[in-house]
Parts: sequence; C-alpha cells; structure tokens
Amino acid sequence: MQKAVAVIGGGVAGIQASLDLANRGFKVYLVEKNPSIGGRMAQLDKTFPTMDCSICILAPKMIECSHHPSVQLLTYSEVKEVKGSVGNFKVKVLRKPRYVDERKCTGCGICSENCPIEAPNEFDENIGVRKAIYMSFPQAVPRVAVIDKENCVECGLCDKVCPAGAVNREQQPEEVEFDVGAIVVATGYDLFDSSVIPQYGYGRFKNVISAMELERLLCASGPTGGHLIRPSEGKIPRHIAFLQCIGSRDRREWINHPYCSSICCKYAVKDAVLIKEHETDSKVSIFYIDMRAFGRGFQEFVNRAKSEFGIEFVRSNPGEISEDSKTNNLAISFEDPITRTVQSISFDLVVLCPALIPSKGMPELAKTLGIELDNYGFVRMEDSVRKPLDTTVPGIFCCGYCLGPKTGDIPDSITQGSATAARVAEVLASEEAS
Amino acid sequence: MKYAFFAGCLIPAREPQYENSVKKIAPRLGIELVEMEGTNCCAPFSIQSLDYTSWLALAARNLCKAEEMGLNIVTLCNDCYESLLMTNTILKENKETKDRVNQILADVGLEFKGKTDVKIFSDVLYEDVGLEKVKDSVKRPFTGLRVAVQPGCHLSKPKRLHFEQWRGITALDELVEATGAKSVPYERKEACCGGPLRGVNDEVALHVAKQKLDSIKSAGVSCIVTVCPFCFIELDMGQIEIKRHMNEEYGLPVLSFAELLRVAMGMDLEDWELKAHRIPITGILGMTEAK
Amino acid sequence: MHEVANTPRGRGVLACIQCGRCTNSCPVSRVEKEHNPRKLMEMIILGLRSEVLGEQLPWYCLSCFTCLDRCPQGGDVGEVMFALRNLTVREGKIPEGILAQAQSLFDNGRVVTASRMASIQREKYGLGNEPTVDVEAVQKILVKTQFDKLINKGKRSL
Repeated sequence: MQKAVAVIGGGVAGIQASLDLANRGFKVYLVEKNPSIGGRMAQLDKTFPTMDCSICILAPKMIECSHHPSVQLLTYSEVKEVKGSVGNFKVKVLRKPRYVDERKCTGCGICSENCPIEAPNEFDENIGVRKAIYMSFPQAVPRVAVIDKENCVECGLCDKVCPAGAVNREQQPEEVEFDVGAIVVATGYDLFDSSVIPQYGYGRFKNVISAMELERLLCASGPTGGHLIRPSEGKIPRHIAFLQCIGSRDRREWINHPYCSSICCKYAVKDAVLIKEHETDSKVSIFYIDMRAFGRGFQEFVNRAKSEFGIEFVRSNPGEISEDSKTNNLAISFEDPITRTVQSISFDLVVLCPALIPSKGMPELAKTLGIELDNYGFVRMEDSVRKPLDTTVPGIFCCGYCLGPKTGDIPDSITQGSATAARVAEVLASEEAS
Repeated sequence: MKYAFFAGCLIPAREPQYENSVKKIAPRLGIELVEMEGTNCCAPFSIQSLDYTSWLALAARNLCKAEEMGLNIVTLCNDCYESLLMTNTILKENKETKDRVNQILADVGLEFKGKTDVKIFSDVLYEDVGLEKVKDSVKRPFTGLRVAVQPGCHLSKPKRLHFEQWRGITALDELVEATGAKSVPYERKEACCGGPLRGVNDEVALHVAKQKLDSIKSAGVSCIVTVCPFCFIELDMGQIEIKRHMNEEYGLPVLSFAELLRVAMGMDLEDWELKAHRIPITGILGMTEAK
Repeated sequence: MHEVANTPRGRGVLACIQCGRCTNSCPVSRVEKEHNPRKLMEMIILGLRSEVLGEQLPWYCLSCFTCLDRCPQGGDVGEVMFALRNLTVREGKIPEGILAQAQSLFDNGRVVTASRMASIQREKYGLGNEPTVDVEAVQKILVKTQFDKLINKGKRSL
C-alpha cells in the first residue's frame, strides 16, 4: 500500500485536497497541465458575495503547495498511463518541456521583458497577449518561465539576458513514473463556446464577450490593468448587458446542456457590481430566466445589487443580438416584462454567461484512468448518496466542478477538496489494515 | 437518379418560369423528374392551421402516390417540403396516427407504408448529384456577382427535423458559389420573408419583408437568390409594394436558384421568363464569362 | 392549458417556463404589438380560454419556426401555434384569406389555381398542362375529416 496520492488538476479543489492530504502525512503528486497551478480561481478578479480579491486568498494556498515538503508539483504535465488498483497504482506522467531549467529559473521575468514575440495569452482568455517566453500571471506557481515553441522564433535573446542561464532549448519531454495508493481527479471546467449559437454573435461581434473575458478585463493583472474597455476601440462602455443561460438550461439536441450551471447568476451579479464600482456612471442590465441566488448571502447580494447599485434585472431571455457595423454597438430586441412591449435597446458591451462544461481532455483522461463519465462528460459518481466523491474505479476519487454543476461557489469546491482528502485517507487506512 | 416530381400548387400555377428552369437543368445533371399523376395540394401552413388530420391525410396521399411509383419524392417549394417531410416523419414514427390516417386513405384506395423519402431540389443537387458535377455543368460562370441567399424558413427549420441536413443553408451557399457567384453573409439570413401572411395580413407581411430587405441591403449585394416560391413573390413583388406603401426602394433583383444555375450552364432565359420578375434581372444576367 | 396540451401539436405548452426567448426571436413580434408568443403561452397556462380563442391572435404567426428552434425547453412554440389555430377554427374563427385558400382546396384540390397568364404561358412554352389533380379524392378525404364543415362554420361567422 502506497502512502501517496496523485492529484490531477491544480485548481482550488485540487490544491485543497493536496494540502489536506499532505498535512496528514501523505506524499502528494499534484499534476497540472498548465504551466502554473491556480485554475479558474486565479483568473477571477473578485469572489462573491464577499468581494474578496480572488488571487489574494488563493495565492497563500498555492505557495503552501509549492513549499510543502510532502507536495511535489508536476506542472506543465499530463497523466499518460495508469495501471494497478486501489492501494497500488503505477502512474506515468509526461512532463512537457518548458525549455527552461526549473531548478535554475528565479522567476525574475527579464526574459519576457526582452522577448520580441507576442502571442495570445490563454490565461487572459486570448484577449490579452503574452510573450513567447512567459509566465502565465504575476502570481504563477511555480514561478518558472516557459517557452511556447510554436511562436518562438529562436532569436536567442532570452538565452542571452537570463541572469541564471536557465534557458535550455535542448530540453526533452520527461516521463516520470511513481506509485500512489489513490488518485484524485480535480480537473474543473471549461466555458461553452458561445459561437455554437451564432445568433448571439460571439466570435463575430467585437463587443460580445464571455464572462471570463470580462473577469480578465476587470482584473488588475489583466490585459488592461483592470480598466474596463470595449474590445472594438478601447472606449469605456456605458451601457452593458449580461445575458444569462447561454447554453445552460438548454434541452435542444445540438446543445444538450439541460442542466443549470449553478454559478452564473451569482457571478453575473458580482461582475455587474464590479462594473458599477469601476464605472459609477454606467448602466448595467442583466437578462435572465430565473435569478438563482441560492445559499447564504447571495439573495442579500442580489437585493443590494438592485437597491444600492441600481443594476437592472430584466426577466426576459433574448434570442438574438444584432450589431451596428459603424459603431460596433449591439442591439438587443426583447419584451419588457413590465410594459409587455417588444423594444430594441442599444448596448456598448454584451457579456454572455455561457454554460460550464467539462474540461477539454476529459474523455482521454477518463479512458486513461478507466473511470466513467456521465452523458455530459462530467465524472460519474459511484453512488451519489453513499459515495458522492468516488469515481466508478475504486481508489480514484474526485472533487470540484469536474463532478458537474453541484458546486455553488468556491467554498463548496474547497469543502469537496477537504472531503475527498478525508475519503482518500479513510480508504487507504482500511487498505492498510486489510 | 429518378424522382417523383412534386411541383406543388404555386409554381405551376403562378411561377411556371421556375418550373421551366428546373426542367431544363435537370437532364444536364442526370436527374430524371417523373411527373406524378392525380396529386393534390401538399397542405401548406394555411391548411395545417385548419385541421390536423386533414393535413396528414392530404399530404400522405401524395406520399402514397410516390410509394406506388417506387420513387423518392422531390419538391421545389419549401412549404411542400415541410408539409410532406413532417407528415412522413410523423406517420413513420407514430403507429397510432398512421393507422388513423390510413383509415381515411382507405376510402380512396391508398395505404401509407413509409417507403419513400422526401427531398427538396437543392438537397438533391448537393447530396445526390454532388457539388463537383454541378460545377462541371457550369459553362458560363458568374463573375463578381454578390448574392444574398434566401434559404427560406422551411429549408432548415425546425432544426431537429433537418438535423442530418441542417447544414442545408451552407449547402445552398456552396451551390450558389459553384455557379461562380459569391454568397454574402447577412444578419437576418435565417429570418422569415413574411410570405405566409400574404393575403392574410398583408401589412404585417410587408413589414417583415422590409426587415429582411433592410438586412440584405446593408450587406451590399447585387441580387437575391431564393428556393421557395413564396419567398420569391414576397421579396420580388414585395419590393414594389414597399415602394408604394412605405416609400423605400431596394432595386434588388430576385431569382430562383434554378434560374441562376440555368444561366451559369450557358442557357438563356426567355423573354416571358424575364418579364415574370418585377425587379428586372437582365442587369445581373450579363455578369458571366465563358469558362 | 390541458385542452391545448391534448390537441395535436399542442403538447409543448406544458414545457413553457416563460423565459420570453420566443417573443424575443419572433420576426412578427418586432413589427406587430399584438403578436407575443410568450404572452399567448401565459394566457393558455392561466386558462384564459375565451381571450385566446376569441381573437385572431394566433393568426399573426408566420410558422417560420424560429421560436421553436430557440426555445430552451424544446417547447415547440411554433407547433403550439398550429394547435391554437386548429382550436380557433373549431370555434368558427377563420381569417378571410385562409378561408379562401381552404375553399379553393375543396373545390379544386389546390389552394392556388393557375392564373390566366400562367395557363397561357404553360401552353405556349411547352410546359404542358398543370399536373393533374384528383379533386374527387381530395373531396372524399376532406368530407371524411369534416373539413367541409369547418369551412362552412367559418363562412357563417364572417
């Protein structure tokens, strides 16, 4: 029986599970496919309903992970093969080459400053740019640069300016193998691609953006330093619309996300309040089907949004958006629920709140692990009542949004992370006893 | 490729030039259209609105005729397509309804067996003939012709009915581009032309047509290409009526896809056919060159 | 509401959550204030039978199926419109234009018969006669389904 655990996914749920397990004396291998851990929570500006700075409350946990003697971070890595069974899994992980020596790099950032090449920044949902040699965001853990070979032109500038001589273009993918007693899946979510519903103009109209793109615009570490501007020409938007349920609660066959993604109403209200805090003169309207603000503090937050911040809540779900090609403004035609007349209103910026879907790569990972997914691609629980954190393979557990939209907010993901850690400890203890 | 040819009411009765073009291009693409004897109206939207069972029985009668011929049925009109396709689907999937309809059909000596498939002419060109062969048949491709394609509502809606073929809109775009013309995207491409309300509520119909035409105009095109004969009338004649009642002019010639392809194949439209277009199309017909 | 739900094509009303996407997508709602699919569903759900069936409300619909394609519940609003029209017809309320088409169907087997010009053109340019219609069969079917009675009821109400 191996007193070690592999955690796949370095978001808040995975981080929590890792820390709890490490503090109990387990050796934890935290595998993360991106160059840094942090996941979605690191991308957010503020959390609801307390309006805490998201990265400020996450970063200490991220640092703890990197410094904890029992946690080994395997970032920019992916699980390739898993053999064995509960108590004794053999895990093979492929570490993608950063072309930077992790032991030498100090994270000073001089390489990025000098790099001449810019590429879309995935962390900023591709609305900002980064260099070909980069660190995803200022609080990245580990604070080690990575070279994007596809965009790198091999000019050699970073090699020259790096004070630690950490650039290593000869670096090869590395296969790492280790033994663990249990595996935790914490791979989180992706955003539904709203261009699948062409009537909303996502991908065609410059000023129709997704909620995550908005977060990056509002965030001080984002591409505009936290200044809310319109993508089309950089002016400050005065009239903003949020469209809820883009893809969620949708039973149509070609969309097939009949579930409610459970956090969008909450984050939309949060974002609306944030916008009003940034630009007090702006007018914000949220178009919804139902305002699902369940749990402690959320309905109060919604009420505050109405009374204190003057945010308009419109119970009408638009079917299409049209663009004025001269001004890049968006026109939304909808029935005013109070006057019951159809009117068309012009907005500077439209924010779509898309359905939240399983992380890309889930089907492959599920195959590698041998676990079952449900018909939406989320991890299938072994038994939703008696073992809600177990996957269909004994010894493999899960937590966070990869389980599906059961999470109400970040504290829920953290709770699940801890619960999964406890479950792992319990199962491995009984394995040891038997 | 042999099909039972269901021309519908409107085209033979009011737009014979559309039928003429179809009959002229079919043989060059290897399509044999077999006339159906003793058909009846497909039961379009107006009749469906009156009575459910009457609709199914009338539509099914045509399907039975095609079954007797042992051929798949091909329509030119979007409304015929929707009516026959929906009926075919409902009767194939729902035994109780099928039995009820067959009871009525028994009176006229017919029985629906579910042995035929319903296709619309543009899909036949795209799926059965194939884009390559259509391209090969073009001897005088259009040059510099910007087209707004009007697929019509029932070509691809309801999506769940056309799920396999709902790229029907892009198929039409590709067919148009096979003639050398360019299909220009425009905002309200999937929107209705207003045709079904013609003769029922002309004012509303015209306002809806205007929305469509406004959107097409802002895309900067030289003409509109239609599939459905209702779309043709509403957008062609509609422009004259909009000019009269709302004082707005578009000057956008409208022609059916069959006519477009016929010209691209190197054939000329006859005088009487040209006159059938209220907005003159002679201007754009010259925009071709020999291959 | 259950009356509509049990009428053919009317089942979709049971799925309605009043989100309003249908009205927000409808091309007629933009130009005609009277036409509001969401409101019509609301009236059905509330049981306002005489208001729904008493007016010409469902007859503004184009049957373009945009609402049906957009409804997140798969509520088939466009189909429910057909059910509503079937119900108003049974009450005897048929718009004139539709009645004319129905009468033509019964008399000629077609909703539209060849105009004089079209007949001349067909003959002159070698298109042959209009495809043959079996009017007798059509009438037999329509009598069996009592379609003719519906037409007469509609004519009396005008």
